[in-house]
Amino acid sequence: MASSQYYEFYRGSSIGMALTDSLDELITNGSITPQLAMKVLMQFDKSLADNLVKLVKTKTTLKGHLHTYRLCDDVWTFIVKNPSFKMEGNDVVTAPKVKIIACKNGDADTGKK
Amino acid sequence: MSYSMALPGASTSQQQQQQQQRPFFVPALPSHHTPQTPAPPTPVYPPTPAPAPPRGGTASVAATPRPLTLEQQHITAVEGIVPTLQNIVATVNLDCRLDLKTIALHARNAEYNPKRFAAVIMRIRDPKTTALIFASGKMVVTGAKSEDDSRLASRKYARIVQKLGFDAKFSEFKIQNIVGSCDVRFPIRLEGLAYSHGQFSSYEPELFPGLIYRMIKPKVVLLIFVSGKIVLTGAKIREEIYTAFNTIYTVLCEFRKP
Repeated sequence: MASSQYYEFYRGSSIGMALTDSLDELITNGSITPQLAMKVLMQFDKSLADNLVKLVKTKTTLKGHLHTYRLCDDVWTFIVKNPSFKMEGNDVVTAPKVKIIACKNGDADTGKK
Repeated sequence: MSYSMALPGASTSQQQQQQQQRPFFVPALPSHHTPQTPAPPTPVYPPTPAPAPPRGGTASVAATPRPLTLEQQHITAVEGIVPTLQNIVATVNLDCRLDLKTIALHARNAEYNPKRFAAVIMRIRDPKTTALIFASGKMVVTGAKSEDDSRLASRKYARIVQKLGFDAKFSEFKIQNIVGSCDVRFPIRLEGLAYSHGQFSSYEPELFPGLIYRMIKPKVVLLIFVSGKIVLTGAKIREEIYTAFNTIYTVLCEFRKP
């Protein structure tokens, strides 16, 4: 993926969904053009990716059983069974299963299910 | 577990082949499963070390210039030490062009980064092995600890590829390398060994702490360390590892550190 291109997967996050909904509403009542909405979404992709790298310094460690991994097209997919996340404040979060998608870029990032 | 794959030629088990080739008076030897305490040769064997029937399937015939004698075949554990097999590398031809991207996308535990390496790297947990799968349909399976595991793992990989919709066969399975290791439990004077076995030895402690011993018969390379730990590699059949160890053991005793 070229460096000018950004992944669109943050549009599926709650903040991305909220933005998409709002833009839809604005298009329907004629306040903005669909072209402008697209531009906003592309800026959203870029800003979120850049700012996650720049601003988020919190770290967590993850332990669990790696059930499946995959690397294809520079995208890593991990399915971890019974993960436990140790947050910085020493609190632990567990889940039966977590899927981690990690994409290559300066702005590496994770999507969580 | 049943694998209903087309199995041209190579499918006959090694045991069966041996059964056919073995003269009726020679008792069946434990072939691939090392007994924990190997029994000494019994008088049932022919009194003179008669040339033994070829063993270990077609691979052994090609790999060894002369068939091993019965004594050599019998795993004579020197001082109760039997080398442990650590790794077996085998190759298989799936005999079918493969689209590696499809495999990487649909199989589990697969890595495919064509910029780095032109094969899909796939792993399974049982038998714990790694396979390199090439677009030509050729495959390398590494990491197995026994011949049977190596074959089973190779079949599992072939099955995975088959399930992804390719017309994969299981042909030309061949063990390419066997690695074993053991510990003679006494320290060794490597300089002395290197000096008197100069023809076979290479000892450069500034480059590598072990002595590299290239045995000619059987054609096996041994890494010998001061500690008495030994690594044996380059064998095509298990018996070559055992024979090489038995041969080197007598030599090592000469160079035991006082």
